[in-house]
Amino acid sequence: MRAWGWPALLLAAALGWAVARADEPPGENRDLDLIPKAAQTPQAAAPEAPAPAGTTRKLYLENAFTQSWTRDGLLVPLPPPRPSAWQERLLLDVRDEWRVGSNVGLTYSGRLNLRAEDGLDFPSHQNVTNDLREAYASWEPFERTFVDAGRINLKSGVALGFNPTDFFKTRAVVEPLSVDPVVLREDRLGTLMARVQRIWAGGSFTAAYAPEVASISPIYNDSNLHSFDPMFDRTNAQDRFLLKGSVDLGSSLSPELLAYHDNGRTRWGLNLTESVGQSVVAYAEWSGGRRSSLMDEALSFGRASGTLPAGAPSVLPSDSRQHFRNELAAGASYTPSETKITFNLEYHFNEAAFSGRDWNNWFLAGTGTRRGSPVAGQLWYIRGYAADQQEPVGRNSIFLRADWVDAFVPKLELTGFVDTDVVDGSARLQVTADYYLSDHWTIGGLVLAELGARRSDFGSLAQGGSVLAKVARYF
Amino acid sequence: MNWLTRIVFSALALFAADAALAQTAQEIVAATDRVRNPDQPFRSVLTLTEYVGGKERDHDVLAVYSKVDPTSGQFRNLVQYLEPARDAGKRVLLDGHSLWFFDPDSKVSVRISPQQRLIGQAAVGDILTVNLSIDYTASMVGVEAIDDAARKSRQCWHLELKAANDLATYSRVEYWVEQGSFYPVKGKFYSDSGRLLKIVYFRNFSQRLGSIRPVEQIIIDAVDTSLATTAAFGESAFRDVPEGWFQRDYLPRLQIK
Repeated sequence: MRAWGWPALLLAAALGWAVARADEPPGENRDLDLIPKAAQTPQAAAPEAPAPAGTTRKLYLENAFTQSWTRDGLLVPLPPPRPSAWQERLLLDVRDEWRVGSNVGLTYSGRLNLRAEDGLDFPSHQNVTNDLREAYASWEPFERTFVDAGRINLKSGVALGFNPTDFFKTRAVVEPLSVDPVVLREDRLGTLMARVQRIWAGGSFTAAYAPEVASISPIYNDSNLHSFDPMFDRTNAQDRFLLKGSVDLGSSLSPELLAYHDNGRTRWGLNLTESVGQSVVAYAEWSGGRRSSLMDEALSFGRASGTLPAGAPSVLPSDSRQHFRNELAAGASYTPSETKITFNLEYHFNEAAFSGRDWNNWFLAGTGTRRGSPVAGQLWYIRGYAADQQEPVGRNSIFLRADWVDAFVPKLELTGFVDTDVVDGSARLQVTADYYLSDHWTIGGLVLAELGARRSDFGSLAQGGSVLAKVARYF
Repeated sequence: MNWLTRIVFSALALFAADAALAQTAQEIVAATDRVRNPDQPFRSVLTLTEYVGGKERDHDVLAVYSKVDPTSGQFRNLVQYLEPARDAGKRVLLDGHSLWFFDPDSKVSVRISPQQRLIGQAAVGDILTVNLSIDYTASMVGVEAIDDAARKSRQCWHLELKAANDLATYSRVEYWVEQGSFYPVKGKFYSDSGRLLKIVYFRNFSQRLGSIRPVEQIIIDAVDTSLATTAAFGESAFRDVPEGWFQRDYLPRLQIK
């Protein structure tokens, strides 16, 4: 062996030792012990074949019982009737889509309710109500060009707690079991409309026209709902137009522009979202246009629908002139990488809503009035109108929502939100628990509390809170 | 081990190192991507089975459409839930930076982050089709023999992958790829803070979409090791997907057919 041979051999031998050691990583194979015994056998490879037709059908039966508690000694007394103390509801919820030929589809979505509650006669026609959420036909005359006609739930917006660009949300929510804004978007009526949509690789464009087919009607409450009535008076009491388009700019920013017209006024809208790393999505939703204050709009609607006398003066100082007013929801979602919780934090601004001065005037005008007096009636009508329109009454609020999958124990999902009025610090708090017993059975409940001083946004409400227990069977 | 064995072992090690140099770490990851994923658009049915404390707890069935974006080289995915009944009809779109979730109940598409849990233990980013060589920069750690999911020893390249862009779901990945076959054997996925989050084993190599590919993954939650998920590809077929389908406004229109 040449002079350099032995050192090379020694080096190779040393390398051999090193490789031999590295070749048997002691820790790596211990990971195999973490594979569940039940999963140790591979699933049989399925044959290569066409995928099955996807179902979009969802059918479930749910029973929910709600117990509420009311406050005494309100600064501004609530006009009769008193809110019901309990409600029992059995509902059958159906959503289905059918294909009729290669380019025509039909969609139906509705909920049949059997209900009994404190203060509601039994038996009566109001024990049975049907919510016709959607019923429409879709036609695709050209590839990715769609024409839809019928009752359609056309929704817009990227925020969770408040959606300024969701122009068809007004008056559409019917008897929700939860006040979670995410759930409110599910329990609402669509609008009778014709819609054209074109989707291409670089974006999409939508145009919708909703005709006036019914007269304006008073605000509904749970004691005057119709049994089997599509209630177009809620959704189609005026002509409405919407144009919206989204553009793929090739970046992570996803802008959507909207223009909406009704009643001689036009509102503009913008939705923006942006991913920030792997855990955060930031978003903003804005709309703006000329409109009156929420207070003035409420009184005008009350007079037009006959709820308030035609010549009834406002009991509050109000400015009936129209100004350009903004609505904004801006926030972010955050999912920590080592958890199964997603947080959404949002700031909400509704320029047409109550300022601090408006709140002072509201309490000043109503304090000391009698229950059932016209003054108290008008004051509460304004707040009822805001709820019917799905608008916050307070001008500035902070909204925090959390969704926790497998909370504490597997299969338990906790959802909670707190909506805080920035001016007075009062808040609406709700926590929902759903436990998935199986693929078909879910049990759950929720607790709702309206928190705050008597002289505050949420603290002045007649209902102090409620609890709900439910069981659902999915088919 | 006698001296002759050591010499033979050393020679083999040098040979292996030389082979590794000939094949860069990035090329190995790209070759493994080609084993995992076909180069044509396809659809598959994916069954996710969750295990808690060793017992089967739940399962989800998803239909998945996947297609490479010619600009980025990365896959775009469209997903529709088929089971369980309470989730049927929900849809997810992953297109580059954008991940959108559509719930037919609310009829709204919501933008979500890749870390958001939609399917049991697995984050969305875990189960969708991705080319790791696009989102990660690979380097060679060494050559090791490790056991695969069936406890069979495999001679592997041990690679370290670091996130190359902000589309990567994880900050760092350890990746074991069998020499010669380029079969992925195992992956370990880490958070930004360096914490081990998931351990993934690839197994059940079978004929799928024109080649032998891993049909099943076992995803072990390294934070809570009592949790695990298997993701098994079922029925699969090549199918072209129009570009317009990868728009969020198409999600409500998606029909699995």
